[in-house]
Amino acid sequence: MLSYTVNRLLLAVAIVLVAMLILFSMIHLVPGDAASIALGPRATPELVQEFRNRMGLDKPLPVQFAVFLGNALRGDLGNDLFTNTPVVAVILRELPHTFALASLGLGWSVLLGIPLGCFSAAFRNTWADRISGVMAVSAIAVPSFVVAIYLLLLFAVELRWFPALGAGPAGQPLTQLWYLVLPSFALGLGWVGYIARLVRASMLEVLADNHIRTARAFGLPERRILYVYALKLGILPTVTLLGTGMGRLLSGAVFIEIVFNRPGIGKLVLEAVNTRNYPIVLGAVLITTIIFVLCTLAADLLAAKLDPRVREKL
Amino acid sequence: MKSRIVSRRTVLVDMSRVAAAPSVFGALIMAPFNAAAQAPKVLKSRGAQAVSVLDPAGRLGAVDGDVMQAILPSLVKWKAGSRWEWEKDLATDIQQTDPTTIRFTLRRGAMWTGGFGEVTAEDVKYSFERIADPAFKSAYRTDWDSLERVELTGSHSGVIVLKRAFVPLWTTTLPMDSGLIVCKKAVEAMPEKKFTLDPGATCGPYRIKKLEPRRSITLERNPQWNGARPAYDEIEYIQIVDANAAEIAYQAGEVDYTQVPLSSVGRLRKTPPPKSKLLVTPSLAYWWVGMQSESGPFADIRVRRAVQHALDVDMILEGTFLGIAQRSTGLIASALVGHRKANKVGNKPDKARARTLLAEAGLGGGFRTTIGVRNSTEFLSAAQIAAASLAEVGIRAEIIPFDTGQQKALAGDKTGRWKEAGIHIGRFSMLPDPSWATAWFVSSQIGEWNWERFSNAEFDRLHDAAKSELNATRRQEMYERMQDIMEDSGSYVFLTHGASASLYRESVKPGLSPDGQLQKFADFAPV
Repeated sequence: MLSYTVNRLLLAVAIVLVAMLILFSMIHLVPGDAASIALGPRATPELVQEFRNRMGLDKPLPVQFAVFLGNALRGDLGNDLFTNTPVVAVILRELPHTFALASLGLGWSVLLGIPLGCFSAAFRNTWADRISGVMAVSAIAVPSFVVAIYLLLLFAVELRWFPALGAGPAGQPLTQLWYLVLPSFALGLGWVGYIARLVRASMLEVLADNHIRTARAFGLPERRILYVYALKLGILPTVTLLGTGMGRLLSGAVFIEIVFNRPGIGKLVLEAVNTRNYPIVLGAVLITTIIFVLCTLAADLLAAKLDPRVREKL
Repeated sequence: MKSRIVSRRTVLVDMSRVAAAPSVFGALIMAPFNAAAQAPKVLKSRGAQAVSVLDPAGRLGAVDGDVMQAILPSLVKWKAGSRWEWEKDLATDIQQTDPTTIRFTLRRGAMWTGGFGEVTAEDVKYSFERIADPAFKSAYRTDWDSLERVELTGSHSGVIVLKRAFVPLWTTTLPMDSGLIVCKKAVEAMPEKKFTLDPGATCGPYRIKKLEPRRSITLERNPQWNGARPAYDEIEYIQIVDANAAEIAYQAGEVDYTQVPLSSVGRLRKTPPPKSKLLVTPSLAYWWVGMQSESGPFADIRVRRAVQHALDVDMILEGTFLGIAQRSTGLIASALVGHRKANKVGNKPDKARARTLLAEAGLGGGFRTTIGVRNSTEFLSAAQIAAASLAEVGIRAEIIPFDTGQQKALAGDKTGRWKEAGIHIGRFSMLPDPSWATAWFVSSQIGEWNWERFSNAEFDRLHDAAKSELNATRRQEMYERMQDIMEDSGSYVFLTHGASASLYRESVKPGLSPDGQLQKFADFAPV
């Protein structure tokens, strides 16, 4: 188990490095001089060149990459091109909002997806199963930003039950939680479908096992068999999926952040790409990649902890 | 039961209790109304971008200007309303005594926050000279390019001495963001003597109450301000980047004023939100179709003229702006000096003439080209309609969406990739002086913003001369001539100036610039 963990950590480092290399190449391949765009149309050529020199944009790309990595290892991700604020500070200000949004989105998907999956498994091959299947697939198919807009129009504009935009006043966690209800639901709805289908499939497999047959033979109530004996095993694949899900929701949060005008990493990166604010793009993607990799690793380790069969294979 | 002794004292006490009772009762009844009356009057307005830099020398966008105009003083400020005018701010007197001399006197008693004392002429000198100083490297140095120096004639008076006459000083420098005054003592104490979001000291009708970077900025009335008192106690300027999200936020009651996309105007006119007003104002910006004229088929003026005759501009405008934007006659809108009354090429497309010209140029069979446009709905719509117009005369145009950075990079490419450019549809924003329109089409802008690679010595000369031309009639003639030269070159088809649409509560009287782009918070008032 220890060697598995170490191997996975080393792999995580390699993944992050490769991701950063690809990203670094991509952002410099996009046409459009960062200095000209940053300084605007009234900048003189001398000003543009001085800006390029100051930001190190005049150096060869491999040198720029090496400098970036070296600084990143020291915790220095550079400064925002326009406001000169340290990138770390900017990211730390925005990241908790995206993290909260993704976590609550995942929470919705678990809260609704697991019962839906169990329900489908319990009433397999009936009309109830088919209807819940349609609901699950519909939830997967509808884009999150479409859900977001309709939720906004209905619950915030028409009914005024929820606020329309923003994250709520700082220092008021309960109010901020209220502001999270619609965006997190919009974000997590797609994963409700994924989790429901996955739970259904794995539950059906478990329900066919010998120990379940034995439990039934002992006359245990079906509900207890389903939710106590079967679900404990049936939920294991979902645990692994949650790690990937967290990463996917972190990156998918950008649409929700734009529609609901919420602060967050997604909106930050989008604006930074449009303005060629490279330090922000690099820093934010680096942090997000690390989180994604760690979430996946944590999910794998948790799965290994919960399932002895996985531990034995390791 | 103990009997009560009636005495003069007890009678007086009882009478006072009886007299007080209505007051107490009345106070209880009136309490909610009093609370409402005492509750601060707050205006929630939408900003399309984050407020990033509040230093006039380093500002990034219009939203920065909206806030700066509310918290920093200037000699004169632009006036909200339907005409481009200015009004005195801190200057009690300001006069141009000759083409290169402007004398000013400041109002006394205008205090900086933070204990930095009074605003003086020293602050004025510092603020203007720092932008003009090449060593300071401000991107707005051209606003003060003609500044020789600011002389102090007293603690509250001075003289702005120019190297040469400069007409935009009165239209876009002094009344706008480059004319804002910062506190010398506060800024000199800062590292690098520049700032982003903390000016160190402010002096204006409002001061900063709360700043949440990239989210919102809240301004509160400045009790030290000795100028006209603004109507709202607080302004909450909320960043909402997406225009559709802003419209939803307005409908949800979370902002009181927002700009809306032109595509929403038709719907909002048919079914307006309750207790709201929609204001559509003509913009100063200019849209045009340009042709890269140094290489490829458009190097031949006959081909460029063919495009001028082939394009159905009215159809482009109808399809793109849904009838909201009017056709333009040049770069300069009707609100400004230099506006042309008519285009030289007729308003109706002449396909036969276009085909004749192409045949004369040896391209009677047509040819392939590209139309480069910004990657947005309006531009793509305009490009599709333009392509359809051109196809009728045999010009087969492929539409290439870009972002602005890509287009500029292509235009300035040193390896010659600029030769790949054919036609493009452009839009530049504009300030209320005609020199800001022609500035991007001079020869020195080739490879920068002059994507047509248009070069004309007379145009360049007129552009430089018109900035110093104080005679309005002569200036008018100069700018008309410049636009004629542009159209005669065949490289340009002028489309429109577009429009701006604003949505606001009936209970709000907005303080906007004539083109609806800028907000003057001090001039917003409840109705």
